[in-house]
Amino acid sequence: MLSADLVTATGIAYVGLLFLIAYVSDRQARKSKSSFLRSPFVYTLAISVYCTSWTFYGAVGSAARNGLEYLAIYLGPTLVFIGWWFVLRRLVRISHNQRITSIADLLSSRFGKSSRLAVLVTVIAVIGIAPYIALQLKAVTSSIQAISGASAAQGTLRGVDDVGLAFGVAAGMALFTVLFGTRNVDAKEQHHGVVAAIAFEAVVKLAALIAVGLFVVFAGGGLEAIFSRAEAAGVDIYSTGTFDDRWIAMNVLSIAAIICLPRQFQITVVENSDENHLRTAAWAFPGYLLLMSLFTLPIALYGLTSMPAGANPDMFVLTLPLAAGQEGLALFAFIGGFSSATSMIIVESIALSIMVSNHIVMPLVLRFTQGQGVGDGRGVSQLLLASRRFSIALILSLGFGYFYLTRDSNALAPIGLISFCGVAQFLPAIIAALFWKDASLKAATAAVAVGFVVWAWSSFMPSFESASPLVAQLMAEGPWGITWLRPEALFGVADIDPLANAVFWSLFLNTATLVVVSLFTSQSALERVQATLFVDLFRRQGPVGTLMRGSAATGDLQFVAQRVLGIEKATALFAGAGAAAGTPQFIDRLERELAGSIGAASAHVMMSKVVAGSAVSLEEVLQMADETQQAIEYSQQLERTSSELRDTARKLEEANRQLRELDSQKDEFLSQVSHEVRTPMTSIRSFSEILLGEQHLEEAERQKFVATIHKESLRLTKLLDQILDLNALERGKAAWRNVPTDAEAVLDQAVEVCSALARQRQMRLVVDKQGEGASIDADADRLSQVLINLISNAIKYNDAPEPLVEVRSRRSRRHYIVEVADNGPGIARDERTLVFEKFSRGATGTTAAPGAGLGLAISRQIITHMNGRLELVPARGRGACFRITLPLSGAAALAE
Amino acid sequence: MERRKLVSAALVLTLLGALLFMPPLASVFQIHRLVLGVPAEVIYLFTVWVLLIVGAWWLGSRLPRESEDEG
Repeated sequence: MLSADLVTATGIAYVGLLFLIAYVSDRQARKSKSSFLRSPFVYTLAISVYCTSWTFYGAVGSAARNGLEYLAIYLGPTLVFIGWWFVLRRLVRISHNQRITSIADLLSSRFGKSSRLAVLVTVIAVIGIAPYIALQLKAVTSSIQAISGASAAQGTLRGVDDVGLAFGVAAGMALFTVLFGTRNVDAKEQHHGVVAAIAFEAVVKLAALIAVGLFVVFAGGGLEAIFSRAEAAGVDIYSTGTFDDRWIAMNVLSIAAIICLPRQFQITVVENSDENHLRTAAWAFPGYLLLMSLFTLPIALYGLTSMPAGANPDMFVLTLPLAAGQEGLALFAFIGGFSSATSMIIVESIALSIMVSNHIVMPLVLRFTQGQGVGDGRGVSQLLLASRRFSIALILSLGFGYFYLTRDSNALAPIGLISFCGVAQFLPAIIAALFWKDASLKAATAAVAVGFVVWAWSSFMPSFESASPLVAQLMAEGPWGITWLRPEALFGVADIDPLANAVFWSLFLNTATLVVVSLFTSQSALERVQATLFVDLFRRQGPVGTLMRGSAATGDLQFVAQRVLGIEKATALFAGAGAAAGTPQFIDRLERELAGSIGAASAHVMMSKVVAGSAVSLEEVLQMADETQQAIEYSQQLERTSSELRDTARKLEEANRQLRELDSQKDEFLSQVSHEVRTPMTSIRSFSEILLGEQHLEEAERQKFVATIHKESLRLTKLLDQILDLNALERGKAAWRNVPTDAEAVLDQAVEVCSALARQRQMRLVVDKQGEGASIDADADRLSQVLINLISNAIKYNDAPEPLVEVRSRRSRRHYIVEVADNGPGIARDERTLVFEKFSRGATGTTAAPGAGLGLAISRQIITHMNGRLELVPARGRGACFRITLPLSGAAALAE
Repeated sequence: MERRKLVSAALVLTLLGALLFMPPLASVFQIHRLVLGVPAEVIYLFTVWVLLIVGAWWLGSRLPRESEDEG
């Protein structure tokens, strides 16, 4: 056993060392920006403030009682840090952008800079953390008693019971924290000195725990021996049934705790000087946790087998070395445990005191003064420091009060879990703040309040069971005998672990409230702005849009800034801004600077008071934004319409071009027609003039002239008939009727008509019919017209010495084919595509050729109307060969 | 790996870790046997833990830097 005086002296000396480290590091940090203190490893070690005396002493106790369960407390934080990219990075970025000072400030800022929410969160945090502080007091008290054992009855601690000892510890801690954490009001609420001291403590506690662990493994004869001996002693070394509802609940709680605990938020987010430090902490912090819990199970099992029955397993870390006579190691372990407790108390009470002073004291001061701070000189700064010191004292006394009321319960870990469950009530609101734009202030407030009430009922209150008969009765029977409201069996679900019960119902009702109320309430304008800033964090470039316009006198602004930031800092700020001081951007920046000291809500109130009168209401700003949005939409609509118009114009242009082309075709056609008509008209006119002018004409001559006039007018009529015919054909099929027709019969008829002409020209007309019985859909008269036209052309233009015209017909599977071939001059290669055009006549024999050149054009039109083809095919030898291909009637074609 | 895949990998690592620590996967290794002198479930939890740490270390330096934020 060590003497109580030695233990006390060691503790005080250790605190002195911490203070020295903090002091030196503060000066160091101020001198150089890139010192070792700002390295990611110091940051990671500081985050290890998560490992308190609960970890140091309580985890062993937990392992001794419940096996592997203690690990859940470290696996949750491991997961959060492994997934740092998704939550922690956002928190750090937002907090840097918005100068967030605490978790209450974060929620308040996100939900419209609401003071009320900030107050609620602060109050819950202070109440929720009280058991946790009590845990540290209890651990330190027990450790002092354990290490000094019987000798506590002598020396300075003589006659002091554990309550007195705990009070002494609490008072000492309060004094230490006040000296430590509230020497100045830092604009960014970063405490480099404190962080350095905490990092040092992290190294000490890890070293101490590993030293004890190695000692135990060595003393126990290796891991296997320890486990086998424990198994032989009847300990359940396999932690049967560990992975149950309680395991899940503890994992959820530890996930929530690493984000929501005020001290974790303070170190991880507020004290973070570089976002990239998270990259290191992402693996280094889980690694630290792993090392911290590596020897927990062996220590617990070795303690269970080697210590006398009834020894407090929470103190195995101390009592095992003591029992082996290793007093030096025991003292080191004591310092390790003391480190865990002090680091937690220091950071937690600093974080909570910032929340209390920023969210409770400052708003009250602002409300009861005329707005621009209190008194003269450094009023606000002084006030903030005073309120922080008072808050630290308050927080530690609450912790002590809780310790006093629950001093009869034994284990450390369950007390910590109560606190975890309390602060976990912030998690739904935080997650919604980061990822859900529609989460509203009313919903967040209601959700946190509901969660708090359920927690207080199902987790906080039951811890007083041993202290209060009333609570014990409530737990046994429920309020007014309503059994389904029994704290540890809410809604009648009794076969569930009490912790899982509290965690599930509080978080479930909390989240449900958040979602449902958000869906049914609307956000204020400021909430919408802040929601966008938080959720679209990485989408937005450049500075935040300013919310206040106007021309606050630079003097007023400077006055306010000096009040809060201090003269030196304010002067620097205004000097840096130069002429820009007083612009909306500057006012916005100043508000954020102020928020870094007094919280977003208070800063907002303060700035609105100064800039009041010229402030544009936020509603106005948003309306302007809405109008802009509308204007954009309108212009997009216009653009759409105008592109439609462009489209239409292009189509019109195209149609116009086609029309013009048609028009020019028409002109060409007309000029051709006129030309064709002119020739007969000229001869008719000149002959009739002769007949009119010359009275004494020979009868024979007169006859000849009249005959010519008659012939020419016939030709003219024929031409006009053809034009009309072609026109009708081109107009379309409207009057066209195809009926099943016997093709060979039509061919016979046409050949008969033409044979007279052939005979007249002494020409051989060879007919070779192979298409017997072919039935086609056609207009018989029209088909006959085409055939006659083709055959008579072949006869008319044939100038061969032995003229020959061949007409051949045959059937294919689906077609009836007629070819008309001659041995005449043929058609020049370059004219072959032209012969079917209107008014085209073969270059050969143009002069001799009668007719207007419309025949083939008409023929092709007719055949097209019968769904057939009229084409010029290469002839065998000399001459031309026209081929008509017509589809057989449907029925005939199918019958084939 | 391109940045989006890295971010996905970080998410998968986190969710996978959560699954591996929870029943029923965690219960798979409750076989009541000592492995290397230590209960199997203890070995299992610490192995997963170490792998997660290695994964986070590997990703930590590769995930995109501040200058290239997501769009």
